[in-house]
Amino acid sequence: MTKIDRKFSKELKKYGAFDFTSCYNCGNCTAVCSLATKDEAFPRELVRLSALGIKEEIESSLKPWSCYYCGECSTYCPQSANPGELMMSLRRWLTARYDWTGFSGLLYRSLPLLVVAMLLAVTGVILFAFFNKFEAKPIMHLGHLFEMFAIGTVFVVILLPNIIRMWYLAVIRPGTNPSLARYIKGAGTLFIHMFTQKRALGCDNNQRRWFEHFILVIGYLTLLLMTVVFDWLGTANPIITVAGYIVSIIVFSVTADFVKERIKAKREISRHSRPSDWLFVIWLFLMGFTAFIVRLFVDVDLIENNIWIYLIHLTVLVQWAMIIVPFGKWTHFLYRSFALYFQEIIKKR
Amino acid sequence: MDKRIGVYICACGGNISDYVNIEKVREAVKDENAVVLSKTTMFACGDANQKDMDSDIKENNLSGIVVASCSPKLHLSTFRAVSERAGLNKYNYVHANIREQASWAHSDNKEGATQKAILLVKAAIAKARHAVSLEPIRIKSQNSVAVIGAGIAGIKAAQALSAMNDLVYLIEKEEKIGGSLLKINTVAPETVSGEAIIKRLSGEIAKEQNITLLTGYQVAESKGNIGDFTLKLQKNLQSGEGNPSERVINVGSVLVATGFDSYTPKSGEYGFGTIPGVVTLEHFNSLLRKQKEKVFTVDGKKIKSVAFIYCVGSRQIKGENSYCSRYCCTAALRSALDTTEKFPGIDIYHLTRGMRSYGKQELLYKEANKRGDLFIQFPDREPPVIEDGDGEIIVRVKDILSGKRELEANVDMVVLVTGMVSAKGDNTGAIFKLPRGRDNFYNEIHMKLRPVETAIDGITIAGCCQGPKNSMESVNSALAAAIKSHSIVSKGELELEPIVAFVDEMKCSWCGKCLQTCPFNAITPIDKGGKRIAEITNSVCKGCGMCLPVCPEDALELISFTNKEIEDMIDVLSQ
Repeated sequence: MTKIDRKFSKELKKYGAFDFTSCYNCGNCTAVCSLATKDEAFPRELVRLSALGIKEEIESSLKPWSCYYCGECSTYCPQSANPGELMMSLRRWLTARYDWTGFSGLLYRSLPLLVVAMLLAVTGVILFAFFNKFEAKPIMHLGHLFEMFAIGTVFVVILLPNIIRMWYLAVIRPGTNPSLARYIKGAGTLFIHMFTQKRALGCDNNQRRWFEHFILVIGYLTLLLMTVVFDWLGTANPIITVAGYIVSIIVFSVTADFVKERIKAKREISRHSRPSDWLFVIWLFLMGFTAFIVRLFVDVDLIENNIWIYLIHLTVLVQWAMIIVPFGKWTHFLYRSFALYFQEIIKKR
Repeated sequence: MDKRIGVYICACGGNISDYVNIEKVREAVKDENAVVLSKTTMFACGDANQKDMDSDIKENNLSGIVVASCSPKLHLSTFRAVSERAGLNKYNYVHANIREQASWAHSDNKEGATQKAILLVKAAIAKARHAVSLEPIRIKSQNSVAVIGAGIAGIKAAQALSAMNDLVYLIEKEEKIGGSLLKINTVAPETVSGEAIIKRLSGEIAKEQNITLLTGYQVAESKGNIGDFTLKLQKNLQSGEGNPSERVINVGSVLVATGFDSYTPKSGEYGFGTIPGVVTLEHFNSLLRKQKEKVFTVDGKKIKSVAFIYCVGSRQIKGENSYCSRYCCTAALRSALDTTEKFPGIDIYHLTRGMRSYGKQELLYKEANKRGDLFIQFPDREPPVIEDGDGEIIVRVKDILSGKRELEANVDMVVLVTGMVSAKGDNTGAIFKLPRGRDNFYNEIHMKLRPVETAIDGITIAGCCQGPKNSMESVNSALAAAIKSHSIVSKGELELEPIVAFVDEMKCSWCGKCLQTCPFNAITPIDKGGKRIAEITNSVCKGCGMCLPVCPEDALELISFTNKEIEDMIDVLSQ
């Protein structure tokens, strides 16, 4: 016996879902979805579970991560119930459920809170600069240290526990008990999907977008490597310098294209943009772009007198590392690949 | 004068001639006694052949016609009309069905089909030899109609009849007109209340001089037949003073629109009568009407969630009412929308057997969905279970759409969406001998072809006394019935089929068996020539022939189907 929870559909609306109660369960969405299979059918089933508010089952479901939002389901929905956006909202909701700190949910649900958090980051950077008397050298040096520290902390304190929670909800609580061998065998899946997003190619007409995304992921990770490990902004090594330029250009030009898509809002995937979506693409763009400008200023020796440009970059960085990465859309990158990994290891043979 | 018969054998564009050798049929019958002309034709019903028949009849001075073609249901009237146009009494026309009865029935045996066709045509010729000219029975008709029941159907029928200048007696047993529509808060798919509709119509009929409204009256007795019914009306006991306690009216036709009763759930059915908060839709609507506060309150309890259970007393798997009551899905949707319009926070559950909000009513379903109402379709044989849960009602239901998952919800109110049953206190059917269907509603002659006429001539039916309808459908049927009734009373004179039973006064010695079998009450005993014999009321007799075989004296025969005719046909067929 499962209890119906009518509050759930109202809660889900705060995560961006809308009109999904209009669904009359014809199943067109599942039929047109190029990723849904007989054993793993969605989105209709999840629309139904959401309407009924069967939280526990949704919490344990990995299906929301199996969807790459081509939007065909929403296009062909005779009731305009937007199943695609429901799947997206479920991903946001799951992100909030996995997050042990609860910040994720707060920031998804409340735009004012998000703005306050972003402003706090700005204030922090200004105070930090103030205490360092607006001198470029110490600021940039500490900035680099912060970067390394932030990445480590966020991963250990937030992301790792959250993935463990996800594993508990999806694998342990439903009662499956995969052997260690399966964990090891499945590991390949994890890395392939994390770095290639291979599954997204299964969506119709998605090659260009997939390719852009692929380039962006590689570009972003390389940029991370360049700045954090090789200290691109401070290095004198010409190879690192040039490589950093290239990857930063890749990051901001691809994200610029994504932002443009969202503004045009022509395709189903970019039609319904929530603050978290805007934030993700715009801040990724700003990350790449401000890093590029900072390095440019360094190379033409203007940075000493124009430390403000680095402070802008640092602000973006802090907001990115403290808000968007741990609590925002960035985590989808991890959860998606882990979802496919868990799916693989609990799959019945 | 000897009969001069023309025979036409139709190919039906191959439908007949592919299996029956029609040339051979013609050969076989062309020399039959009294046959002076025989032809085959591609389409007997075609214009060209009709014209040929017309000139053949005139040129050859034919006194009898046989067409061997399709079923008489299709073209009997066509060829009767041809005969009439050519100046030949239409009862001299005899039809032989060699399509349904020969070519189609025996497509595997062409030789046999042809032989059978020959016999059928010969039998028809044998009958045609006896055919006599007949004149229709003509009776006077009153230019007035009694409409029984002043619900939405009765009122609209009365208005339609009045608009066509017929006198109308609108008879309503209650003191107020309006019937069941009065109980409906919002008449979907519009947004007007039933009461407002009735108020407007009430004002309209008060102004119409052709309509005599008789409230508080019931029909107690009926005499007469189509064109001339005499109805005795009796005032209801509780009816106010001032009106005569009895009235007699004379009408040419009766339009029955006596409506329905709402199904009353049995005690304990979904907790009805045993669990507080379980009510019928009708009751829920009246509760909703009474709400004056900002919060939905019933007996001091705040209502935050309501579950509607559909198909209560309709579409029963086990039980009498296997039919769908048609209006309840929409009525329940409308009530749910009324509820959330007035009290936006209320959670609504719809536990259905599959929604049937067809046509424009689909918009209500869509709206309810959009507002977040939860629809749960339960399996036909596994209805929801309702339990008393200490101030709340526990609803357990299986949801087809999530793999028959067992779900549970706590609600403050359960509304049983009850369907329609035939009106219990309605004795109109008994008075007019109206046949009822298996669902116990009055039966029309044919659902599609004669949807508002009853087996009793002159009596039409409209609205929900015939079967469940929504108000729009009720009005449609009312307008159809009004036209049918009008066609009976408007001409002042009616022509009836002359094919009726007749009595051999010598043989009859009145045993009464014929009266017992007659479904139409067309036989009365009279004293004539010193003895008691049967008399047929020609305007009531429908020529069904039921009385013929039960007569021990063989004193009854049917015009145009006399013993001699039938015997001659049998002789031919048994050759």
